[in-house]
Amino acid sequence: MSDDDEALIEAVAGAYRERGPRGEVRSHPAWHDLDAAGREAAWAAAAGSRAMEAALDPQGLSSTARAVLARIRRAG
Amino acid sequence: MADLDVHHPAIAAGDAHAFGRWVAAAEPELRVSLRSFAAVADCEAVLQEALLRVWQTAPRVEPDGRPNALLRFAVRVSRNLALSEARRFRTAALDEGAFERALDDVAAGDVPEGPDPLLRRAIEACRDELPEKPAAALAQRMGAGGAEPDELLAERLGMRLNTFLQNFTRARKLLAACLEGRGVALAAEWR
Repeated sequence: MSDDDEALIEAVAGAYRERGPRGEVRSHPAWHDLDAAGREAAWAAAAGSRAMEAALDPQGLSSTARAVLARIRRAG
Repeated sequence: MADLDVHHPAIAAGDAHAFGRWVAAAEPELRVSLRSFAAVADCEAVLQEALLRVWQTAPRVEPDGRPNALLRFAVRVSRNLALSEARRFRTAALDEGAFERALDDVAAGDVPEGPDPLLRRAIEACRDELPEKPAAALAQRMGAGGAEPDELLAERLGMRLNTFLQNFTRARKLLAACLEGRGVALAAEWR
């Protein structure tokens, strides 16, 4: 796997996602640049990273959970 | 094993803290339920959108006498969103069996309860051994809580985006190797 592929995988494995005009969560742009194997690798990297984040967080929240809760609180 | 519906009444009443407790336990199950969609939809985006919709519709989800009614509803919402994305991107066929197995596991109440404190200590010890730059990349992403793009996190560290991502990859791999050295079993894909 090339360094460029690894960078794309790591980018997609992050929890930040842009919002669309109606507030919908958008796919990461780099996801479209990955082949099937790269997308599977990104899923696995995300699963591992979220498990680690949740294990370290006092409330057991991953960055996915924190992103969603922040959105809910902003909307409230 | 936990029945996460214990949080459902408070969630339905608009308690975001209760929803946080539910998400902390439900997220790993939901993510695994999307495993078979990984090549055809961006599962992170699908999962976040599904969680937002669960929050919005929780007051209308009725208990059915079996454990984890809200989680089973969330699995279905996630699946439908993933299917919709797969159709939109015209990506490949799906493994429906994997989704059904995930739903069966949730219906049986097989939901682990919260992070393991021993795992937390092991990760903390391994994190403390990371070299400076990988440690900084890891800390930036964790501190951002999914609310800031990598471009901004990289800029904050004075790194180019690719350098930031390479350092994060290095941190993840070093952590995995360290944890395995301490006898913590990890999923094969995370190495």
